[in-house]
Amino acid sequence: MDIIIKNGLIVDGSGLPAYSADLGIEDGKIVSIGKVGGDAKEIIDASNKVVSPGFIDPHTHFDAQLLWDGQARPALAHGVTTIVPGNCSLSLAPLKAEHRMKLVGMFNQIEEMPIKAFKEGVEWDWETFDEFLVRIKKGLAINVAPLVGHSVLRLWVMGDESMHRTANPQEIAAMQDLLKQCLAAGAVGLSTSFVDMDETLQPVPSRYADAAELDALASVLGEFNRVLQIVHEFYDIDLTIARIDQLAELSLKHKITTTFSPLFVNADDSELPKRVMARVDEQFARGARVWPQVQTRPVDISFCFEVPSLLFIRLPSWYQVMRFGSHDDIVSAFSDPERRAALAAEAQGMGDLWESLVLRQVNTDDNQALVGKTLKEIATLRGTSAVDVMIDLSLEEDLQAHFLSANMGHIDDDVIGPLLAHPRVHIGASDGGAHILSFATYGDTGYLFSHFVNECHALSLESAVKKITSDTALIWGMPDRGLLREGYVADVTVFDPNTIARGEEYYTQDVPGDGSRYVRDALGIDTVIVGGSVAYTGGGYTDAANGEIIPGAVGDP
Amino acid sequence: MGLNLQRVNCHMTHALSTQRKSTLPQPEDTWESIAARELPELDLTEATSALQSWNLHVFMRPAAPEGSPRAGNPILPSDVIFLEAPTGPTRGIFGATNE
Repeated sequence: MDIIIKNGLIVDGSGLPAYSADLGIEDGKIVSIGKVGGDAKEIIDASNKVVSPGFIDPHTHFDAQLLWDGQARPALAHGVTTIVPGNCSLSLAPLKAEHRMKLVGMFNQIEEMPIKAFKEGVEWDWETFDEFLVRIKKGLAINVAPLVGHSVLRLWVMGDESMHRTANPQEIAAMQDLLKQCLAAGAVGLSTSFVDMDETLQPVPSRYADAAELDALASVLGEFNRVLQIVHEFYDIDLTIARIDQLAELSLKHKITTTFSPLFVNADDSELPKRVMARVDEQFARGARVWPQVQTRPVDISFCFEVPSLLFIRLPSWYQVMRFGSHDDIVSAFSDPERRAALAAEAQGMGDLWESLVLRQVNTDDNQALVGKTLKEIATLRGTSAVDVMIDLSLEEDLQAHFLSANMGHIDDDVIGPLLAHPRVHIGASDGGAHILSFATYGDTGYLFSHFVNECHALSLESAVKKITSDTALIWGMPDRGLLREGYVADVTVFDPNTIARGEEYYTQDVPGDGSRYVRDALGIDTVIVGGSVAYTGGGYTDAANGEIIPGAVGDP
Repeated sequence: MGLNLQRVNCHMTHALSTQRKSTLPQPEDTWESIAARELPELDLTEATSALQSWNLHVFMRPAAPEGSPRAGNPILPSDVIFLEAPTGPTRGIFGATNE
C-alpha cells in the first residue's frame, strides 16, 4: 500500500452520514475503506479530522497561472484537487501566434490579469488545444478540466472578423471541426459570454455569434457529451431568465449539461434569486439541465489607481483614465484642479460608497496610522471629503494607496444559505486565478464550511462536501472522481471540520513580472492528495505532480 | 413467458410559467427589422420606439463604429430582445460589470 489514512471521519461525498474508518491508497486509486491493516509507505493519522474527496472548483481562470505554477497556488492548499479553467469564452488555446496579444488584452480587461505577467511568465510554445495541454501537463500537481473559449474559437477561424459579424455556414462548420479537435484532445466543454468587453471596450467575439452558431456548437457538445458554460447578464432578472430558457432549449435538443454563472444575491434585488430558481426548477422538471453557479463569499473589491478596477466601470471619466492612462496620466488628472473637480463630481453618482471605503495599505510611514480607517474617518481628520481623501492619498502614495470596498453584495446569509443548499444549485463561481488585484479568489470552500456549515448551519457537513465533490463531478462528467469509493481516483482532502476556513486576505508579490495579487491562506487543511500522492500537507507543498487532464483525450483509459 | 409487456410512451408535460416575451436576433437584424417581424400590428415607427424603450440594455449601448459591418447598429447577434415592457424592477448593483 502506498498510503493509509488512519482513524479519520469518512465523509464520502455521497451526502450519506459520516463514519469512522481507514482509507488505503495504492497506484493512485482508493483500494480499501474500513479497517485497513498492513504496512504502507506513508501513514497519515487523521484522528479528529474529516477525510473527504478532493474539492472541485468549476469556475476558474487559472489558464495562465498553470503555465508558471502547476499547483495553482493557493487553490491546492485549500483542498481543491480539480479546477475548471477556460470559463467565460476565454481560454489560452486554440490560439494562433498572431492573436496572442489580442487574447492577453482580453484577459487583462475581463479577468484583470496583468499584461506583464503574460509577457514575462509565459513562453508561448503552443497553438492547438492539444499542444496547450501538453504544455501545462509538465509539472501539473492539480487536476485540470479545461473549457474551450468560444471567443478564441471564433478568433482562430474568423480572425479580426470575429469581432465584427456573425459567422457564415462555412465558418460555423470550421468552428465545429475545431471544437471537435479540442474535445477529442481533452476539453471538458465550451464556454461563452453574453456580457464581456475586450480591451478596447468592444464586445468580445462570442457576443457576435447568433443563435444558429451557438446551436451548431452545442450539437458538437452533444456528440461528446460535454458541458456548455455561459456568463450571462447576471444583473438583470428578465435577461437571466431568458438565458435560462435559451440554455434549456439547447440542453433538451442536444442532451447536454449547461451551467450559468454567477447567480448573485443583492439587497436591492431580492426577487432575483427567487424568480431565477423558480425558472430553473421549471426547466429541470422538463428534463433540461441548467445549473446556476452560486459563490459562497461576499463581494469585496480592493483597488489602487495603478491598475484599472471594475469598481469604476460605471464612471466613464474615471474608468477612461484608469484603463487607458499611464501612471503619469493618472497623476496628472488627479493633480489638475479642473479635471479633479470633474472626476469628483462624477463620483457623486456612486452615492456614499466612498465614505465606507477602508484604507488597507500604504507605503509611506506618514500614512501608516491611517490604515484600517474608513475614508469618512480620514476625511473628518483632514477636514475634506472622502473622494478628495482618496485622490490625495493616491497622490501621496504615488498611486500605491490600496482601498477596500467590503461587503458590496452577496451578503444575505438568510438567502444565500438556503440557496447553497438547494439541490439544483451548483456551488462555484469562485473566479480562481482572476481579478487578482481586486480580491482573493481562493478559500471559498473553506468559507463554505466555516460560515455556512459551522456558523449558519445552512448545510450539514456531509451536504457541503457532496456539493463540492460528487455533485460537481457528476455535473461536469468527471468519471471516477468526487466520491471515496474503492476503485476511484485517490483525490482526497483531510481537514479539521472545526477549524477549516479561509485566512485573512493579504497582498503578496508572487506573480511573474514583479506582479502582485491578493490571496488567502488555507486554515484547517491537513493533507491534500492528488492522484494518490500527497501534494500538500500542513507543512507546505510537495513536489508531487500527479495532476491529470479531465476528462482527458478521447480514447485515454 | 406469459407476461405481455406493452410499450408505453410517457410524455410528461411540464408547462412553463409565463415570462417576459423575448426573441433572439437574426443576422443583420436592426430595430426596424425586428419591429416589422415581431410587432406587425403596430405602426413601424411606433413599434421601433417601443422596442427601444423595452431594451435599454441594447439601446443605451454605443452603436458599432463606422467601418464596421454593423455600423450604426447597437444590436449584437447574441442579444436578447424583449418584445414587451418589464413588469417590475430588474436591475442590481452590479450594473454592466464584467465577470
